[in-house]
Amino acid sequence: MKRVLIVLALASFAACEPGKKESKQVGYRGVGQEINYDRSRLKEIAAANVAPKSLPPAPVDTSPVKWQNVQVLNDISNAEMYRTMNAMTLWVAPKQGCAYCHNPANYGSDEKYTKIVSRRMIQMTRTINNEYKSHVQATGATCYSCHRGNNVPLYGLWTFTDENQWQRAYLDRPDVRVQSVTIKNTSANRSSIKQAENTYALMMNASSALGVNCTFCHNSRSWATWQNAPPARITSLYGFRMVRDLNTNYVAPLNTTFPAYRLGARHGDSKKLSCITCHQGASKPLLGAQMTKDYPALWGSHGWGRGGPNDTVSVGFKDLRSRDSIPTDAGLILPPEMATPLPAPVRGKAGASPR
Amino acid sequence: MLEYQNLFNRVQVHTTVPDPGVPIDESTWVRQLPPVFNRWIGIIGDAQVGPIYLGATGVASLFFGFLAIEIIGLNMWASVGWDPVQFIRQLPWLALEPPSPAYGLSLPPLQQGGWWLLAGFFLTISILLWWVRVYRRARALGLGTHLAWAFASAIFLYLSLGFIRPLLMGSWGEAVPFGIFPHLDWTAAFSIRYGNLFYNPFHMLSIVFLYGSTLLFAMHGATILATSRLGGEREIEQITDRGTGAERSQLFWRWTMGWNATMESIHRWIWWFAFLTTFTGALGILLTGTVVDNWYLWAVKHGVAPSYPATIQISPEKLNDLRGQYQGAPPTSFPVPVAPAPRIVVPPADSTAPVQLVVPAGTTIPPAAIKPPADSARKRP
Repeated sequence: MKRVLIVLALASFAACEPGKKESKQVGYRGVGQEINYDRSRLKEIAAANVAPKSLPPAPVDTSPVKWQNVQVLNDISNAEMYRTMNAMTLWVAPKQGCAYCHNPANYGSDEKYTKIVSRRMIQMTRTINNEYKSHVQATGATCYSCHRGNNVPLYGLWTFTDENQWQRAYLDRPDVRVQSVTIKNTSANRSSIKQAENTYALMMNASSALGVNCTFCHNSRSWATWQNAPPARITSLYGFRMVRDLNTNYVAPLNTTFPAYRLGARHGDSKKLSCITCHQGASKPLLGAQMTKDYPALWGSHGWGRGGPNDTVSVGFKDLRSRDSIPTDAGLILPPEMATPLPAPVRGKAGASPR
Repeated sequence: MLEYQNLFNRVQVHTTVPDPGVPIDESTWVRQLPPVFNRWIGIIGDAQVGPIYLGATGVASLFFGFLAIEIIGLNMWASVGWDPVQFIRQLPWLALEPPSPAYGLSLPPLQQGGWWLLAGFFLTISILLWWVRVYRRARALGLGTHLAWAFASAIFLYLSLGFIRPLLMGSWGEAVPFGIFPHLDWTAAFSIRYGNLFYNPFHMLSIVFLYGSTLLFAMHGATILATSRLGGEREIEQITDRGTGAERSQLFWRWTMGWNATMESIHRWIWWFAFLTTFTGALGILLTGTVVDNWYLWAVKHGVAPSYPATIQISPEKLNDLRGQYQGAPPTSFPVPVAPAPRIVVPPADSTAPVQLVVPAGTTIPPAAIKPPADSARKRP
């Protein structure tokens, strides 16, 4: 009996994580505001999030656009167009090549659904990089952020079922608040415990997508507090608003474009994004690799797409963000030696700079 | 080796014939299962098993309890499409959920939470009948009813969670689901919804009594085991003769903490701590959402929670934007999002106008088509 107990006691050590741990303080001292990292886990994350090298910059080219039926990338030069198309092929359809979206006999033809979808996705990428600096900041997003060499992003795509109510926050549910701002109960907040569970499920979904725990964004003594929470919470909120916007305006409307085999089984709706689609286990997608700055075609032109005075999300953010942020917001969450080295900066189009 | 000299030992001593127990009035039901000895049972307790006295309340309680477990289990099994493998694999995560908040206190269809109401009803009947059985068996043996009233405290917490508080809140949806992890998830969500239950003073008291119970149990058990070599367990009177087990144990506690409970009062201490664990817990549950909606803010107002300096300075307007809105009414089902295909308008080659996305005329825009109902459309008052 004693031997069995000793073996069992020793076996319980197998549950321990052997790697070296690191702890980073992200809030006021003494309130448990810290994030813990396992270095061996960080190595796995670093190995799984390597950004590809950028293509060499396009030569200066002032010749008129010679392509037919160019609807979204019509504000860049021919040379930059070639370069962007090559990059996108490597990111999204490295096996199939140009023919994944184009008819090789007629590149201007819209006969393939993949071309319609990728056109919309380019618009979406420009929207992200222009209007959601609140979330992506200067890092931005490229096709590779989600696709990683796959025709369809591997993670986090979901379609409607009757059970995934909580995922509506990624689509059309305006906000996920459940806690009152008053001590007494009022008629303003009728949120039920079941709705709190929806919020909880959403938060867990984001937490596992980023590979972080609750205190990465929250002060757990009061989940609702913004002033006492890490600034990452603000970045995260705009991330939710971004995904909601992208799903509502860019991804969901494609369900009439996709062929049936790309649609959800239950309701025939197109697949939608969630946090993990980009993040893929890292608190910064591709560990913050600056890919977008090398591809001016993905920045888009100013005023392109939505935005303007009625776009309160992005306008309101731009006004207040710089004033409200604190420097640690930009701090490297991953220890620098664990992050993959960034590719050497490559100048894009002459004179252009990422906004 | 000294064990045989000690009445508290692990040697299984018993008579040749099992003891049927004291005679009581058995006019309504006779005791059953002729008693037998079992060595393995004797390792963890008395070696004698039986006789069992079920009685009418015991049989009825088991019957209703079986009904409740049956309803819960079959609903869980149905939720994995009657797949026996998935039922076992996913059992810790399967649930029988209470009705949606939209049903209020009305009776929902069976599949929409009606089964939960039925299971809860039968389980409550079963538990209450078992309480009656505990009370009446104690009385039949001429015992006090301390056990029954301690059990009643636990039942009060159970009823507060699943019946009284949902009644006060006007919604069965506030109650706890049946299921292993689901009821834990509910606990987490309950704390989150009401602004951190750890700041609920009755929750604090409940934890004090819970941890206090374990401490008192450990102190008492250790004291009696430690004095059994002196016969301390046999000194049922307040024996404080020089050198006896009781005298030494009481002196031990006076030495170590200056004061001691008596042989009698230690049992009252433990009974009250156990009783108050669930009783104060129930009070905390009943006040949550009915009197206090955010325990963290309550604790800040009353100086329970310390305030820390803000790490981010946020303007009131920004704060309002960050806070966003409360969750709207939960939609009962997902509408199929039949969104119109976006059409790209191509400006003429010489135009400088930006490319625009337009939606075909006569169709609704996608977000409106799948927007949840307005907050005022909710059923709850």
